[in-house]
This record gives sequence, structure tokens and C-alpha cells, in this order.
Amino acid sequence: MNIVVCVKQVPETAEADLKIAAGGKGIVEEGLALQINESDNYALEEALLITEEHDGDITIMTLGHESSEEVLRMSMAKGAGTAVRVADPAFDGGDAIATATALAAALKDVEYDLVLTGCMASDDGATQVGVALAELLDIPHATYVTEVEVGSGEVTVGRELEGGLIEKLTIKLPCVLGIQTGINEPRYASIMGIARASKREIELKSAGDMGLDASSVGAAGSGTVLEELTFPPVGEGADILEGTPSEASGKLADILKEKGFV
Amino acid sequence: MAVSLQEKYELLGCIQCGRCTAGCPVSMRTYLNVRRVVYDGMTGVGPTDAKGRPEAWNCTTCSNCTERCPKGVKPMELIIGLRSAAIEKGRIEPTIRDALESTFKHGNPWGRIRDKRTEWADELSVPVAAEGEAVPFLFYVGCTPAYDPRAQSIAKALVALFAAAGVEYSTLGTDESCCGNEIRRMGEDGLFEMLVEGNRELFGGHEVGTIVTASPHCMNTFKNEYGEPTPDVVHYSQLLASLLEAGKLTFKGKVEKKVTFHDACFLGKHNGIYDEPREVLEQIPGVTFEEMDRSRERALCCEGGGGRMWLEATEERGERLAETRVKDAVELGADYLVTACPFCLMTLEDAVKTSGNEGKIEIIDLAELAAMAL
Amino acid sequence: MNEILVLAEHRGGELRDVTFEMLGKAGALAGASGGAVTALLLGAGVRDMASRLTSYADEVLVVDHGNLTDFNSAVYQPVIAEVVKSREPSLVMVGHTAFGVDLAPSLAVALGLPLASDCIDVVLDGGAVSVTRQIYGGKVDARLSFRDSATALVTVRAAAFPVEDGARSGSVTELDTPVSDEPAFRRFVQYVEAAIGDVDITKSDVIIAVGRGIKEEENLALVEELAGLLGGVVGCSRPVVDAGWLPKDRQVGSSGKTVKPKLYVAIGISGQFQHMSGMKAAETIVAINKDPKAPIFSEADYGIVGDLFKIVPALKEKIAEARA
Repeated sequence: MNIVVCVKQVPETAEADLKIAAGGKGIVEEGLALQINESDNYALEEALLITEEHDGDITIMTLGHESSEEVLRMSMAKGAGTAVRVADPAFDGGDAIATATALAAALKDVEYDLVLTGCMASDDGATQVGVALAELLDIPHATYVTEVEVGSGEVTVGRELEGGLIEKLTIKLPCVLGIQTGINEPRYASIMGIARASKREIELKSAGDMGLDASSVGAAGSGTVLEELTFPPVGEGADILEGTPSEASGKLADILKEKGFV
Repeated sequence: MAVSLQEKYELLGCIQCGRCTAGCPVSMRTYLNVRRVVYDGMTGVGPTDAKGRPEAWNCTTCSNCTERCPKGVKPMELIIGLRSAAIEKGRIEPTIRDALESTFKHGNPWGRIRDKRTEWADELSVPVAAEGEAVPFLFYVGCTPAYDPRAQSIAKALVALFAAAGVEYSTLGTDESCCGNEIRRMGEDGLFEMLVEGNRELFGGHEVGTIVTASPHCMNTFKNEYGEPTPDVVHYSQLLASLLEAGKLTFKGKVEKKVTFHDACFLGKHNGIYDEPREVLEQIPGVTFEEMDRSRERALCCEGGGGRMWLEATEERGERLAETRVKDAVELGADYLVTACPFCLMTLEDAVKTSGNEGKIEIIDLAELAAMAL
Repeated sequence: MNEILVLAEHRGGELRDVTFEMLGKAGALAGASGGAVTALLLGAGVRDMASRLTSYADEVLVVDHGNLTDFNSAVYQPVIAEVVKSREPSLVMVGHTAFGVDLAPSLAVALGLPLASDCIDVVLDGGAVSVTRQIYGGKVDARLSFRDSATALVTVRAAAFPVEDGARSGSVTELDTPVSDEPAFRRFVQYVEAAIGDVDITKSDVIIAVGRGIKEEENLALVEELAGLLGGVVGCSRPVVDAGWLPKDRQVGSSGKTVKPKLYVAIGISGQFQHMSGMKAAETIVAINKDPKAPIFSEADYGIVGDLFKIVPALKEKIAEARA
């Protein structure tokens, strides 16, 4: 069972005070820690668990700048055998489908039974790449996957629907699965493991290497155009109760009492 | 072939006397049996990593076992080695994993971003060294006093004390990174080395002369594990004691309280600093100081060390040691149980609640108590 | 602008809210641009649903076929592609739901359409479509336009638009678009309901919900105590379930439960839309979060900015005092 896992390096923004960069088309990434996208990390773990049980090799693949090799090395430290970085300035600014186009080209000469991706990137939140990739490769797919059971020539998966409902499907291999967070418990990659992995080769694939016309990928090949970034308008929002924890809590307790909750 | 545990940790000297287990504070309340771990290591029996031997995660690295061993065997290092082996396999508790990943990404084990490291000082005027600026006297805040809302008051109290005593110091602001003491004890050797290298470079770049730390854990690793040459490192209790002796620090206020002192393992057992905190306590006007039965070398561990801030004990039995400690202090009739370690502060404060002693006793850091008397 | 095509989504014989939300928005857009609203309904025995949709659309296109009973993107997608190809609408709207995200990207690739997903607003300016979607977990809004394409495809976030009463009286058109058998490569097996635990949070008037900010499982005791004081139950956002600290049936949000309690206290929850869509209907919402810019504050009635580990204990005390 050979598995390709497509991952993305994203900035960690949960706690950060974000700034929009000059030009209004990106955020200031300086000072933000970079990490593997959360659901991609679960996809990698799922691949490791599957190959531990069913043998096979894992190819870890990303489309990104040189910094994203850190994610590849971390993945190799965890057990991925081969690492590929789809790397070309031509890929810059691509939307999700342009990204999937480049990844699909990179997968052309890779032998795989299964492709795993995270179901959503935490930065752009597009939720598109895995499904688009499957269509481009002309293989079946499922996304929001929270259960995977490997059978003979097929997988049975559970997809998470709204309201906590699970949709069970069987899908023939090869296929693409978009993995949802919480499906497993991702392991740790030790720094020594990462250091050992950093001695291993990362294969680079440019648009030219893959026979891709630069106009079909990146910003030029994207059907959507990013016009501008803004901060969401500050809505009416909450009545913020000011003061020390004790003072603010006191105000809240009074409100709750007034409303009959206390 | 890999080096066996027996060779790596020189276990053959062990005579199975059991002094290690007898002195192990967590053997009372978990299934960690240090003598057994050493025996299995010596004879090559049983799992060789903490994944197969989860009780190895219960160790607080208080070092009692190593101190007590008549043959010079270092069981604590063996236990850390078992953890390292689990870490190499990547199979560790998620809370430990998250602490390690956070330290790698953000330079602290608390999952907080680097930008917020100086948040504690937002309302204060705390000097931050400019890039390349020489720092003869560095206040190394440490991750827990920098980020933890409870422990932040230690850092705040210390800068008030420094100001009162006219101490010229600087901090490293958001450039400061984790010292690695807990990281090494969790068994993440590679990350520890990375931190050592980064911090040595940082200290070197600022030509740091002396470091004062808020936490005994940071002091311990800087002093004992960073290799030569290192700046002089002191714990703040040592600094306060010397400032008092030199007459630079004087207490104008009064704290009319009965207090007792909990020796942090990394201050006491690991580094022999027992007298200085007591000297500070005794000079605070109004304070009545009384020792608990188990004090100094015999002090009970609070279970906050060795990575245990990020992990509950497995297969617990009996009460938490911190609860025992709080009960001891309550029995003594103390108003304040004073400690000089942010981890002890947090574990003991938790224990006040879980042992139902709220309102009966307060846990306070020595720096906070000293600042109250300014 | 000629036609806005909205894909009707249903499950278990019920049209889902997102369908009416999209139709309402499509109606407003069509009204401003002089276009028409078309609903596309695929399913088996969906006549009743079709007639209900006529109040919201100018035309309801129906493909009624036994193979369309349960959603399967492998069966649905070629049918929808065929309809879109023949009608060439300016805009196709699909819900950004578990069904929509499994379908829209492959539809976009198959037809060569540009796709903007998870949109919270759609604007028509002249004939040009632009959308707003949120990135970085809702911290930044991105406005996107579409590169010269006759048809723009968007997926629309659930609850981004209100459900309004339908005031149209559209016609129903049965299409005879061919429907394939369920392919062997992707077969629907069954729907499985998540196991019901001891607590049904949807039945409680008071929910104290915790998120990632709670940091450790053992800290749950803190909110359980608060819930006890207020006679409520403890719910949570997704990360708490992912971490295994609370069972799935305690999760509030699009992939968990939708709740409408009288009081909802969100503690250490930043307010990702997936969570907020499950609780925004609560009567009174209180948020406690250390990040003043957390999206949860925009949905809350009352907020306290600060460290939950200080505020929750203080709040417990104050509630006890207020009661005394």
C-alpha cells in the first residue's frame, strides 16, 4: 500500500495579532511560526498507521517555498520514505484548483494506491484541493473523512456530516481522501529524527519538469483573483464587561441574576 | 548494535539495595519502582522505552534516587533515557508532544506565541536589551513566569524588588527562549541541545555576565548542563539574600504572618540552596518562620518537575504529594506556605483546592512575599 | 446577469436550511440585476420538496431518479454538470456543507469553472461576481473576483444569510438528464448516528461550553463546577473532542449539535464559524476569551476579555455571592 500525503505549511495565527501587508493581498508573515497544517498532520498520521499495518511506502509532497521543507523533514522523521517539493515561482499565488493542478502533475510519475490530504487548510480555508486533485487524476474521492478501514482493493470510510452524522462509503483504490482532524493521535517527530531526515534528499519538481505551462498554474492559472484583504467589520458585538477578573465577574453575575439564571 | 541500557547508564554497579525506591517520593503514590527499572535495565529484561513502561513518565526527576545510591548509579538518568527512547519513536502523551512542539516553534512549552512573551511586563517599565547590547546582568524570566497568569506575579514582584534595591539589569524580551531544563527531563535530547546552542549564542551575543533566574529549573540547567564557558548563574533567592546582606535591599513594610517554606527540588536537592531563601524569609519584618518536619534535604517533592507539569501520573494511588505538603503546612498552622519555584507554586496552589484547604492557607512565592514587605 | 442556479440540498427527506439561505440571497441578487433564480433539485421522489421550492425560485429544475436517493458526489456531479453546461448560469451556488465540499471542487474541475468556497457574501456589480470569504480562521476577510468565465461557482457558508419567506411562484420543470447507476468505485453504505451519551446538550437551557483555551483535560472540572452552579451542562468546540477530552455528543457546531439554550457561555472558544453556526441562536451568549479580537465576541451579548483560569473561579464566587 503506497500512499502519497499532500501537506501544506501554514502560519500559526490563532493567537497572533495579524497585520495586512502593503498592497492588501497578503498578511505580514514575519514573526509567525510556521507549521504543518493541522488536518494534514492527521492525514500523515493516518498514512503512517495504514503502512504500519499494511506495509508500503509513504511519499510526502508539498507545494511551497523552501521553508516548507521543514514540514517534509518532519514527515520523513515520522516515517515518510520519499519527499517531494513542488517548487516553482510559477506556482505562486495560485488558488486551490491551480494548486491541485500542479500536485496532479507531480503525481503523474508516482506509483500510489492512496492519496491523503488534510480536508482543509487553516490559512485559506478553501477545502478544495483534495477533491479537485481526485477529479484531475480521474480517481474517486471522499472528504471530511473521520474513519478509514483498508480492505482488499478498496477502503471503507466514514465521512463526517453536519449534526454528528457519519456517512459510510466504500471507495475503490486508488482514491483521494480528505482527512478530518481528530481521526487519530498524531505522533511526535523528535529533533534528532528531523536532523537525520535533513540529510536526506528532497526531490524538487518545477513546472517545466512536469511539463506544465506556467500559464496553467499559479496566479495566472487561477480562476479566482484575490482583490483585497480586510479585517472583518467590527460588529455590534458583545457588551464587554471591564475590570479585574473579580469586578468583571461580579458584573456578569449581576446580569445573570437579573436574567434569572442565578 | 545499539548500546544496551546497562552499558549506557553503567547499571552494573547496582546492588539492588532498594535505597532508590525507598527514597522515591512517587513510589508512594504510583507504580514506579525505581529499583525494578534499574534491575530490568541491568539484566536486559522488559521494555526499553517509556512507551512500554509508562510508569517512567511518573518520575519528577527530583534526583532522590541518584543522591541516595551508595554505588553511584544514576537511576534518574536511566528513566530519562527510557523517555528519550519513546520520544525517538514518537509515541508519547499528546500533552508532552504539544509542549515539545510548542518549545520548538515558539520557544516555550505553554503553546503561546513568542510575541506575547513580554505580556507580563506590559504595564511595567522593564528594560529589554537591544540587539547586540551588552547585558552584564540578565534577568532571565523563564517561560512559566512569562506566560502563566499566576506565575507572572513572580516576575512582577522581582522587578519591583530589583527597582527597590537599585539593581541594574536587563531582559531579553521576546528573544528569550526556553532554558530546556524540563525538555531534557522529558527526554527530548535533540531539542534540548538545540535550545542550549541557541541560548548560548544569545547570551554570547549580549556578553551576558551574570544571570538571575526566577525559576530554580532554569538556574539548574544553565548552571549544570550548559557546559563551559557559561555566565554566572544565580537563583533570585541567592540574589535577594546578598542584596539584604549588603544593605542594598531593605524592607520597610511588615508581613505579620506565620510562614513555612517548601524546598523546591531544583533549588535544594539539585543545587544545595537551602539557606538563602530562609535568610530572606527571616529578614522580612513581622514574619514568623517555622520549618515543616520534612524540610531541606528531606523535603517532599511537589510532583511538578521532570515534565510532570504537562502530565498526570499514570495509575495513581494515594494523594498527590502536593496535597500531603499542603496538609503538613496547614497542620503547622502556617498562614503562608512559601516556595521559590513557579512549578511548586502552581502545583501547591492546585493542591490547596483539591485537598479542601481553601481559605486555610495561601501559597505564595518568596519573591511575592518579599515584595509585600517593600 | 441572467440566471442564478442554486443547488438544493436535502437529507432524510428534508430540505436543509442552507438551501433557503442561498435562495434568499440569490433572490436579492436577481432582484437587483434583473435575473432569474433557478433551484436545482436532485433526488428520488422529491415532488413535495420541489413544490416547496417554488416559493423561493422562478424555476425549479428537478431530476427525480432512484439512483439519486442518497447523496453521492460520483452520481450527482455528472448530472449537475450536464445541467450547468446546458443552462450556462452566471452563478452557481452550492452549500459549503459536507455535501457541497465533496462535490463543488470536482464539478469546478470537470467544467473548468472558477470556484470560490465558503463564501459569506456574494456581490453582483454589473455582470461581475465578487465574493467575500474568511481566511485565517475568520480573522481576515478576503474579497475575490472571477477571471473571465461565463459561470462562477461558489460554495456558501451555512447561516451566512437569513432564511426569508418565499414570495415567488416558480414553475417546476422535470429534466430527463441521464443518471448513471451508482458506480462501483464509490458506493454508499449507510448513515450512522453518533452514539448518544448520558447527556443530551440540545435539551439543556444552560450550556457552558469550552474550547481549546481549557488547555488540559483536568481543567474541565472548572467548567463542570460552573455548569453545576448554573444548572447547566458542559458542551465544547471541536478541538476538545479531537483531543478526546469530551465525547462527540457534547460538541456544538456544524459537525456537532445545533443548540438553542437560554444561556450559552463560551469559555476559551475563539469562535470559528463552524462552532458559531451551532450556537448563534442561543438567547443570551456570554464569551470569556483572552483575545479581544476573537470572533466569538461579535456573536456574544456579553464578553469578558481575560484569562479564563482567573475569571471562571472569580465568576463562581460571584455567582455564589449573588445567590446568597
